[in-house]
Amino acid sequence: MEFIKTHKLFSFYTLLVILILFVAIFAPYLAPQDPYESNMRNVLQTPSAEHLLGTDKLGRDTLSRIIAGTQVSLFMTICLVILLAIVGIVVGIASGYFGGKVEMVLMRLADMMLSFPGVVLAIAIAGILGGSIANTIIALLIVGWAKYARLVRSLVIKLRNNDFIIAAQVNGTKTINILRRHILPNVLPMIVITGAMDIGTMMMEIAGLSFLGFGAQPPTPEWGLMLNEGRQYIQTAPWLMIYPGAAIFIVVAIFNLWGDALRDVLDPRQE
Amino acid sequence: MKLRKKLLAAMLSAGILFTGCGGDNAGGGTSKGGDPNVLKVGVTNFADTLEPTQNYFGWVVMRYGLGECLTKFDEKMNIQPWLAENWSVSDDRLTWTFKIRDNVKFSNGDALTADAVKQSIERAFAKNTRAATFFEYSSITADGQNLIIQTKKPLPGMPGYLADPLFIIVDVAAENGRDFSKEGPICTGPYTVESFVKERAVMKRNENYWAGEVPYQTVEIPSIDDPNTRAMALQAGDVDVAVNIAAGDIDIFKNNDKFHIDEISSLRVVLARLNQNPDHILSDAKVRAALIAGCDRETYNDVLLKGTFIPGKAPVPPSLDYGFAQLTDPNAYNPERAKQLLTEAGWTDSNNDGILDKDGRNLTLDFVVYNSRAELPLYAEAVQADLKKLGFDIKINTVDYNLIDNMGIKGEYDLLISNITTANTGDPEIFLSWYWKTNVDGNNPQNGSGYSNPEYDAKLEQLSMEFDKDARRNLIIELQQILLNDGAALFFGYPQTNIINAKYVDGVKMYPSDYYWITNLIKPAK
Repeated sequence: MEFIKTHKLFSFYTLLVILILFVAIFAPYLAPQDPYESNMRNVLQTPSAEHLLGTDKLGRDTLSRIIAGTQVSLFMTICLVILLAIVGIVVGIASGYFGGKVEMVLMRLADMMLSFPGVVLAIAIAGILGGSIANTIIALLIVGWAKYARLVRSLVIKLRNNDFIIAAQVNGTKTINILRRHILPNVLPMIVITGAMDIGTMMMEIAGLSFLGFGAQPPTPEWGLMLNEGRQYIQTAPWLMIYPGAAIFIVVAIFNLWGDALRDVLDPRQE
Repeated sequence: MKLRKKLLAAMLSAGILFTGCGGDNAGGGTSKGGDPNVLKVGVTNFADTLEPTQNYFGWVVMRYGLGECLTKFDEKMNIQPWLAENWSVSDDRLTWTFKIRDNVKFSNGDALTADAVKQSIERAFAKNTRAATFFEYSSITADGQNLIIQTKKPLPGMPGYLADPLFIIVDVAAENGRDFSKEGPICTGPYTVESFVKERAVMKRNENYWAGEVPYQTVEIPSIDDPNTRAMALQAGDVDVAVNIAAGDIDIFKNNDKFHIDEISSLRVVLARLNQNPDHILSDAKVRAALIAGCDRETYNDVLLKGTFIPGKAPVPPSLDYGFAQLTDPNAYNPERAKQLLTEAGWTDSNNDGILDKDGRNLTLDFVVYNSRAELPLYAEAVQADLKKLGFDIKINTVDYNLIDNMGIKGEYDLLISNITTANTGDPEIFLSWYWKTNVDGNNPQNGSGYSNPEYDAKLEQLSMEFDKDARRNLIIELQQILLNDGAALFFGYPQTNIINAKYVDGVKMYPSDYYWITNLIKPAK
């Protein structure tokens, strides 16, 4: 209780995040209709009591698709962020702790990745691999890992010469244990914060790729893809763009605010 | 202090935004709407160059008002004289004589002679193997303004073949020192090329045009591939004329007295080629029949596409009189029958995942689609949804239009969507031959589907030499019925096609052949 009182904003945003997670996990039960079930005699219906957010070009219920889309989008984003963190930690610790040639090779690779404009490279990679959910994640992973690796590496370099590490080395602790016991726990908070703050951005990038046709493929109810499908009807059935757009906006905003608040709570420098 | 900084930042960024917009407007150049010297036409362009013999790029050369042929089709698909004044065929039906107009000049001022025409046609044969799929000649000779073509066998369709944009008459003599593919060919049309890239062409008046006055000094032709953007460009006055406005947008213009719509039944058919090569799931006729019978094509066209398409059944659309009503489709929509056919073919859902399987192989089909035409992805997704109910797993694979032709030839698909004109030479003979005549070692490259039926081939051979109109019609009807019985392809529907213009422009017309967009008949309204 004390925690909630001192971190009112964070608690509030956490509640919202939990709400989104709840929607994502229980999407199949929450959706009023089957998001894949098309009723072609009932296309492009305006929002009504039966279809709260109208129907799309194949007569599918937009609300159900948006709810189902929460699951798809969130699943993809969280997978991506976790993978980014893992790759970043592995590469970052390896190059930061061991230095030398390992560091040089890995960091020059990272420099190369960082010197490309991210989204453009992601489009190219996703384009070559072909559009699918897995390929989108791979493309964004290839583009994004360098930032995490750099961050971890700089933290590790700072830690490496601390007395407690040297003490562990003198005591003959195995390298793997030093990394696990002493380095990793000191690196993790920063990575969690960065990851949390990136959730919103990554969600946008995934939706962006899907919008361009390089991500999720029909009939997957993915928000970016839904935006693209609605685009053709922007003048005649605007709800097909407005609601998925609003869903992206709301969820990304909540995750960004939550990430910021999480940083305020976890980051020792703020204290 | 902090607040002031923020304000400053906000103002700066707003400033950048505004200058950005200002720059755009300035870049647009000419004033919006109704400039009597400039015509702006929003199109979709697939051509990388203006070389008429490359790929199907000749279509674009003709649509942009640059190239012309010996003959042309009118709004009823009757063949009319164009660069040829008249023509005749000898009694043995092997010698055609085309009389070339003697008042025609190329845009560089050179006179159009029969010899120039001969060189141009020979050039088309030399540069594109498709030419030989229209006709083969034993000799072409020029005698003054008379062009004499001799053939080995009787070819009733000759005047129609020469209307195909592949046979656009170019000034071969001018090719010395001019790169046709970069600078555009020298032709006889009302406009000439000022600059061309795929995304945007600028044409200027041909001062030597032979058939009357050319109204516009300049024609700007931006290629706006996205149908929705094209509609908005027309609404905003960025273009004066737009081609092929999609079903989703056409109502905006129908209820607006600032625009004029010319909407006609096209000669096109939207179909999915079905890959029947060995090893492909669709080589089983029963699966093909089930697939076709599982698609509710009436709903796709009447509801999803709001009646801008006529529901499909046969290869040739009802706008051409080739027995549409009397043809029977054994695979009309009937999901119960489709289910039964799949069971008969041995497909069952042994692992209860909702997808049928047989011998450990899922009923998964790769549906290759491109989306520069708005209806294509819609058809594909509707098929995906309908067939899912039967246990098909359709994977939609969206690719660039430029890859489609090659994928079709190589057979890299299970289903491949196409929007094809059925009568590019005036009747469906070529269409029926290209896509379904047996392909032996690539001698009929467009048929990459592996479809082969000796009876069909025999009737095609008969058709290719038949001069009698009624007999041709009967043969074409029989050919279509064979394709329907074999479940050779999935015929989705027949598009209405349209061209919409702001009312300050006059004379805009859509022809069924789809070859003639920009003509010298388009002029400022009085």
